[in-house]
Amino acid sequence: MPRDSTIDALDDGALARRIAGAGATPDSAAEAELYRRLAPRVRLYGLRHLRERAAAADLVQQVLLMTIERLRAGEVREPERIASFVLGASRMTVLEMRRGSRRRDELLDAWGGGEEAFEAPEPLALDPDRLAGCLERLSERERSVVVMSFFAEKPADEVGGELGITGGNVRVIRHRALGRLRECMGETP
Amino acid sequence: MSCADPIGFEALVAYWLDELQSADAQTLEQHLFGCRQCAGRLEWIAALADGVRAVVRAGALGMVVSAPFVEAMKRAGLRLREYQLEPGASVNCTIRSDEDAVVSRVRATLSGVERVDVLHRVTIGGVEQPEVRVEDVPFDPATGEILLIPPAAALKAMPAHIVRTRLVAVREAGEAPIGDYTFMHSAQ
Repeated sequence: MPRDSTIDALDDGALARRIAGAGATPDSAAEAELYRRLAPRVRLYGLRHLRERAAAADLVQQVLLMTIERLRAGEVREPERIASFVLGASRMTVLEMRRGSRRRDELLDAWGGGEEAFEAPEPLALDPDRLAGCLERLSERERSVVVMSFFAEKPADEVGGELGITGGNVRVIRHRALGRLRECMGETP
Repeated sequence: MSCADPIGFEALVAYWLDELQSADAQTLEQHLFGCRQCAGRLEWIAALADGVRAVVRAGALGMVVSAPFVEAMKRAGLRLREYQLEPGASVNCTIRSDEDAVVSRVRATLSGVERVDVLHRVTIGGVEQPEVRVEDVPFDPATGEILLIPPAAALKAMPAHIVRTRLVAVREAGEAPIGDYTFMHSAQ
């Protein structure tokens, strides 16, 4: 579907109002744009709380299809606060998903199995060769702290406990190492 | 898309690694859902975590790690070969093409030691390569071991060779060896 250039200028709330006010004929362009914008945020929330890519992808689909349905039906009281609505829906859905796979399957059937398909941007991926080179340039202690922190997403106190140093010390090493990594990877601070 | 009050990078890292109090995490999430710029910076952190996992899986990195990290590698489905050596010991070792990493647990008396450097001397085809010193490796003195993981991808590409590894305790007064270990690596 060609993109509606006027849509780029709208904020999230204005997009939500357009969807809610579309009447019988859905505003496909506004729906696709809202999905495209919010999908990365819901995905990050899912990854942070579920720590699993497939579950995060399910969450995106369930939350955003439900949101669009509710907007179309006029069931979102304050469309201009759509980000808060989506955050609340994400929280509720994660709780439901944690209750068990059966409930998760039910949610997927209800909100994830429809005919409609919206495109979400591909998640950012770092160049693995460049990242390996940048990690190699860190000191041994910095490299260990970064790898141990991010491989299984562990907080500083836990990493410190494994290395016989304090969590505060891990945070200092991690801060310095991430600064060097970001510079090496060309990431703007 | 610019944010008037961007979340600091350290706060985003702390959020991602579950270090924030629940109320602080919820406040931060409220901001993230309404802010493309800050969500984009969090995406870089998520991509870093994915990238670190990919680099470790590919065996592209030499590392010094903890025993719980090795368990996390196993839980993630990586296939590991492990060796444990006491000071003065030698071992015949290898890595198969279907293995993801070799973990060498070199044991030593580490109580009272604040800094350890690791010296490696590699001999290939009878020719000794220049010594490599890895400074200030991380370790927990209470465990009495240091866990070394060489880069598996490079190791798989190497011919048979011998690695002589020495742990050195570094103090202000000087340094002293605390363990020598020999790895006789055969290629697969």
